[in-house]
This record gives sequence, structure tokens and C-alpha cells, in this order.
Amino acid sequence: MSKIEIEHVTFTYPGADAPTLNDLNLCVEEGDFLAIVGNNGCGKSTFCKTLNGLIPHFIVGDMTGSIRIDGVDTREQEIGDLAKRVGYVYQDFENQIVCPTVLDDASYGCLNYAMEDYKERGKNALQICGLSSKISDYVWQLSGGQKHLLALAGAAALSPDVLILDEPIAQLDPAHADQIYEILKEWNETYHKTIIVIEHHTEYIARYCKHVLLLRDGKNVWQLPAQEAMRRVKELRRSNIFPPQVTIAADRMAEEGLVPADESFPVNIEEGKAFFGKYLRHLPESTRMARTPGGGESLVSFRNVTVRYRAVKGQAPRILDQFSLDIRKGEKIALIGSNGAGKSTILKMMMGLVHPEEGSVLLDGREIKDFSKEEVGELLSLVYQNPEEMFIQDSIRADIAYAMKVRKVPEYEKRTEELLAQFRLTELAERDGRLLSGGQMRRASLAIGVALNPKILLLDEPTANLDIATRREVMNTLQMLKGITNTVVIATHDMQLVCDWAERIIVLSGGYVIADGPKEQIFADLYVRSQVGIRPPQIYDMGRALGIANPCFTIDEFIGYFKEGEERYA
Amino acid sequence: MHKLTESILDKFSMDYLRNQVLKNAYGNDDTVIAGLDPRVLLVWYLFFGLVPWFLNDLVILLGLFIFVALTTRAAKIAPLVLFLFCLGVFSQTGYLLIAALFFGGDASTVAPLLVMTLKVAVVSLASITVFSGLDPDRLANGMLWFGCPDQLSFSISFAYRILPVLMEEFQNILLSYRLRGNPPAKKTFPGKIRYLFYQIKLIIQAFYPLMLNTAKRSRTTVEALEIKGYRYALKNPTVKKMKLAMLKVTRNDGIFAAVSIVWTVLCVLVSAVSPL
Repeated sequence: MSKIEIEHVTFTYPGADAPTLNDLNLCVEEGDFLAIVGNNGCGKSTFCKTLNGLIPHFIVGDMTGSIRIDGVDTREQEIGDLAKRVGYVYQDFENQIVCPTVLDDASYGCLNYAMEDYKERGKNALQICGLSSKISDYVWQLSGGQKHLLALAGAAALSPDVLILDEPIAQLDPAHADQIYEILKEWNETYHKTIIVIEHHTEYIARYCKHVLLLRDGKNVWQLPAQEAMRRVKELRRSNIFPPQVTIAADRMAEEGLVPADESFPVNIEEGKAFFGKYLRHLPESTRMARTPGGGESLVSFRNVTVRYRAVKGQAPRILDQFSLDIRKGEKIALIGSNGAGKSTILKMMMGLVHPEEGSVLLDGREIKDFSKEEVGELLSLVYQNPEEMFIQDSIRADIAYAMKVRKVPEYEKRTEELLAQFRLTELAERDGRLLSGGQMRRASLAIGVALNPKILLLDEPTANLDIATRREVMNTLQMLKGITNTVVIATHDMQLVCDWAERIIVLSGGYVIADGPKEQIFADLYVRSQVGIRPPQIYDMGRALGIANPCFTIDEFIGYFKEGEERYA
Repeated sequence: MHKLTESILDKFSMDYLRNQVLKNAYGNDDTVIAGLDPRVLLVWYLFFGLVPWFLNDLVILLGLFIFVALTTRAAKIAPLVLFLFCLGVFSQTGYLLIAALFFGGDASTVAPLLVMTLKVAVVSLASITVFSGLDPDRLANGMLWFGCPDQLSFSISFAYRILPVLMEEFQNILLSYRLRGNPPAKKTFPGKIRYLFYQIKLIIQAFYPLMLNTAKRSRTTVEALEIKGYRYALKNPTVKKMKLAMLKVTRNDGIFAAVSIVWTVLCVLVSAVSPL
């Protein structure tokens, strides 16, 4: 008997025209580590909610077919009984945390289900999640990654046999993402739990998962062992899933006849070494010189800035210590560093929202303290990490027009229309920003951000919480900024974005700038990489592993080394 | 002067308010007051929050005032709350007291006003001691023991979980308005008034997106509560018993109660022998 058996399940949300799950059939064996992939709206989250009984007990709708867990139909069980069998961690995990302190939240479920040893269970779960040292902390003291671990501990404290996670690493830096997956792996292997993840990061799927389920339009397209699934490049691409870069590279090279098509494609760097090694044509010896940033005029300068937090208790920790930095006209800067390194603080200082304790911040040569918020708003524009906070009117059109309208910009209506068209928002112009999809919200927030033609655009984590297809969309949107705003600063964890877009990378750690330069230099610096846990795209490491001295940041560059007789760099 | 107004404005940012709220709720969980059993404190509050209204003896009130001032100090209350307290007492009766002194009032006019001011002050300080000295969870559990509904105690604890998040979000929305807005010039006096109204208007307008965002986020919270068995706990009396098992009357509670009683009795005795 399988752990989970789904037969002919069809589910339609009330008021929806088409069913979200459409005659779905599948089985999950005990002890499996299953990844569910599929494009947006294919029914992944809905499917997971049928497993823990939220559908049909809590979310009403039209459901037919049967879902059996340990052989018992979910309809015949109460949510409470199901919750002890199936744990669930939401994508917006922050809203899943309901208690103010860490231990209380982790043991909250156990307390509610009247388990005598609820504190012990909470503590155990926290220990497995590596939060032992935070037991008596308050939730707001935790970083984003730690909050996610807490949400996970809260679900795991009930010790369910099945644990479901919706996009567990969407907003984590690579070090924290590894940590989450190592924990899941331990649960899977040591405690024999069945783990189900909704995941877009195929490198993690290839590394950790046992099976992959591809959903399309609420149907099971296939359910395959993970390695084999990753090799189905075309089918995955059709659903907007991007397989690991080495697999894509192999697939494209097979198409171009550079490698035989019948050989099984690699899914990780180890396999890649064996696979590509044989075909590597030429290893150029000259190292490409990194382009050094030009010396344009300085727009923002930080002079020996020290900033502290406002502490609730005890001594205020320093975020930045004697920090100096110049941002010059026309630069495309990525600010990177682990969670809590001070990236957001730097953005806030430029907006004059945080004032330094010592030192000064100059904007266009003037102290930022002397500007009013409204003046700053005309020179600089900050797009928040959470786009909802940018929507202050009831439609996208009104939001874009707002700043120009109150400033009496001539012909603001025309400019609004132009921006709507440029960011492909014309169709959505009358809708409330909050009700759009993740990618549409980002596009709208960028359009709002550039409405006043700011000299500098600041973006805080523009790709956090987005699936990979939507990330590409955001990257394309960044290309749209050409000609509107030339100086852009992005605080981000997303190394693909950094590689594809940034010209200057500033690495922060412990309140200092530990590296500052173009991507070639930063990623080659192993010390920096180990300090802040940044990780270049897989293809870069693949190239390195093969002994290619010049760094390749894109698949095209990589494939170039397998072609014959072409002069690649003139 | 410019520097001064700036530093005051800087102090009064949303960030500061948020920090103060947190400080008030959780920054003092290691004080003597916070370690007391919430039930003992609630009973204590019943006395110090009610009895002063019925007293007219200046000496007793003064004695009680000194005592609650000491407990407030022991509870390490956040500066903002104390400031609000002073403002509150002053706006209630304190200004009359000062006015009376200024315009030639003598002891006979000042005394009744002083009594009134002391009453308000004792009750307020007692409330501050109990409600901000205890952390919200313990307070909620204490109230639960006295038979308040579960929903109420959950609301208190959840409010403190969500409040910092809401304040941060409100701060950001307000900032969106400010950065993108265009306020009236504030050089002239009418301009200053218009600027003030503009600010107030922004604060009111900012609530609308805040509420919509909150509505959006609460969907997950409601589902999560369901999974975590919130509804089950309401129906199950064992859960309540487990929650209350953490409440224990300790030696410190005994000492605190004894000191309170002895002090009050002393005040009454002193009042009986004093000539006032």
C-alpha cells in the first residue's frame, strides 16, 4: 500500500470556470522525496492542500475522486487528525507564525492538540532545525531564513509522516537554502519521513530529490526518478521549468551535434566533468581582462559611515562600521551579502530614511539630511522588496500617475500611457496592484518607481519569492529601463541576476565592504565566496571544473569552448 | 534650534514608535514584576486600580503613589509610555493644579485638585505596571485563569506578534505617499497649517492600503491556525489546563503581596496620626 493514493481527483474552486485539478491520479510511496514541478497555476499548491485536508474541509469547492493517506480517505478524517499525519509549510511562511516567541510558536500545534509533552516536542523540532540557540528569542528578532526554519519546526513538531513545503528556498541565500535541504534530507533518511516539495530550483531537485512529478493543467504528466526527469529538457521547458544549466548545455550541444544525442545528459557538475571532458576542443590560455568601472561623476558618496540598530534590549549592534562607498553615474551595481549584512540599510540611508550615527552621506554633493523626503523622491527612487507597499491607489494607472499628477508634470497622462505600454501593463491598467500575479506586481512596481525619471533607481530584492520564469521576466523588465534610468543599485541574493546584469558588484560582510569589482573578479575570489556564501551560476563552476580559465557566465559562452575553429574573443 | 526640532522629529519616527512598543511589551521580561504570577498581579491591580477612586485622604494617596511609582520603576517601563502617562495626567487635572497655583489659589483650592491628580496618577501607574510590566503572553494566561474567553487571550498574544509587522508596513506605505507626494510649501504660517493637514490626510489615506494588504496576508494565517489546531483547542478543556499549568505562585509573589499590604496598612496608620 502506498503512503498517499490519489484516484481521479477533480477539484474546482467556487466560481471558477475550469477545474484546477483535473482527473489527477498518482501514488507516493512511503519514504519518498518528491518534487512537484509545473508552471504557475498548474494546481501545485491546490494539490498540496488536498493532502492536508484543507480541501475539502476548510476551502469549499467541488471535489470528486478519492485521496487516501495510509489507506484512509481524507474526507473521513478531521483536519486535526490529518495535521498530525501531514505537515505543511506555506510559501509566505511569515504569516504562518502566530506566536510572539520562538518556542511557543514551535510547540503551538502540539499544545492545541493537547499533547502533554508539547514543550519537549517543540524543543526537539527546533533542535533539528538548528534553532536551539534561539529558543527564547522573539519572532521579530529572527532573520528571514530563521523564520523559515521556525515555520518548518512548527510543522515538524507534530511529527507528521508526510511533510509538504511550498517553495521552501525562494527567498533564501544559498547557504540557508542548503541548510533547509540538508535538514529535509536528514528527516527523509534518518527518520524515514515522506517529503514533498514544490520547487523550481532544479539544481536542488537533482541533488536531493528522489522523484519528480510534473503537473500540467491539473493533470499528472509524468512521475519519474529525479535524474531522469531533469533530462527531459524539452518537456520541462514547455512548463517554464529550467533544468540545471549543465543539462541545458548538454541538450543544446546535442542539438548542434557537438555531443552525441543518445548519451545520457549530466545533471550535476560531477557527471558534467565526465560528460563534457571528452569533447572539450580548446582551452584558450589568455585570460579575459575584466572591465574596470569607469570614473564617472559621483552621485552618492558614503563617508566613514557608522550605523547602529535601535535595540530592544542591551547594546545596539552595529550594522555598518566606518563604511565608505561612491556610486558613480551610469553604474549598474549589485549589493550582495548574506541576510542581515546591511544591504537594505544602505538603500535606506540613500533615501534619507536612516541617518548615520557618524560620518555623512552625500547626494549630488549635498548632505542627504538637508533634503526633504519629497526632494529625495525626485532624485532617487526605491522599489521595495514587497511590491504591495508601493500600491497606494486603487489601480495601476492611478499609481503610476500619482507622483506626476501631484507634482503637476505637464502631459502626465501621456507619460502614464507610455509607461503602461513600455512595461506591458496596458491590459492591467485598471486593476488593483495587489491582485496581480508576482511578476506583474514587480513590473508595476518598477513602472511606478521610474515615473519621475529618477537619477538613481534602487531595488530591494526584486526577484525574491518569484519562480524562475518570473525572474526572467523581471530581468527583461530591467532591460526596459535602458534610456530611462542609467544608474541602478540592486540589493539581491540572486546570482543569476548579478551575472546577467550587474557591472559592479559590492560584497558586504560584517559591516564592511569586503570586495568591490566586476563579476569576473568577485567570483574568482574564493575567500570572498566562502565568507558570504555567494554562489555563481552552475555553468561557471562547471567551466572551472573542466579547467577553463576564462570564466563563463552564460551557457552560450560555455558552448563556445566546444566549437571548432572559431575566434571567440577578437 | 533647527537641530533640536530635527532631533525631536527624528525621535518620533514610526521606527521609534515600533521600537518603543516592542520594548514595552518584551524589553523588560527579566524584571521582578515580569517574574510575578499574573494572577497575583491582576488581584493586586484590582485593589490599586479601584480603591484609590474611593479615597480622599491625601496622605494615604501620597503613600500609594510612592509605592506604585516604585513598582513602575521596578517594571522598567519604556520612556514613551511614561511620557504618555505624564501627558495624560497633566491634561486631566495637572494643568488645573498649576493654573490654581498661578492665579493665587491657596491650600484649600489646591488640596482637592492634588487629591484628584494623585488618584488618576496612582491608578494609571498601577495599570502601567501590570499591563506593560508583564509580557503579553503571561498577561493573557492570567486573564484566561480568571475565566476570560480563549479568543481574548489569543488576540492579545497575536496582536503583539503582528503589531511590529503592521507598523513596519504602515511606515513603508506612508513613505510611498511621502516620496511620491508633493506637499504644500511650509514657509508661511497658512502654509504650515496646510502642511499639517496634508500630513494628517496622508496618515489617514495610508490606512486603506494597509488594510487591503492585511486582508491579503491573513488568508494564510487563518489556514495555518486551522492546521495548527486552534479551533480544537477551544473545544478541549485539557488544553486550557495545560496552558495554565505554567502559572505558579512563588516566594516572590508572597513577598510582593506582603510588601503591598504592609505598605498600605502603614499609609493608613500614618494618615491616622498625621494632622492633615
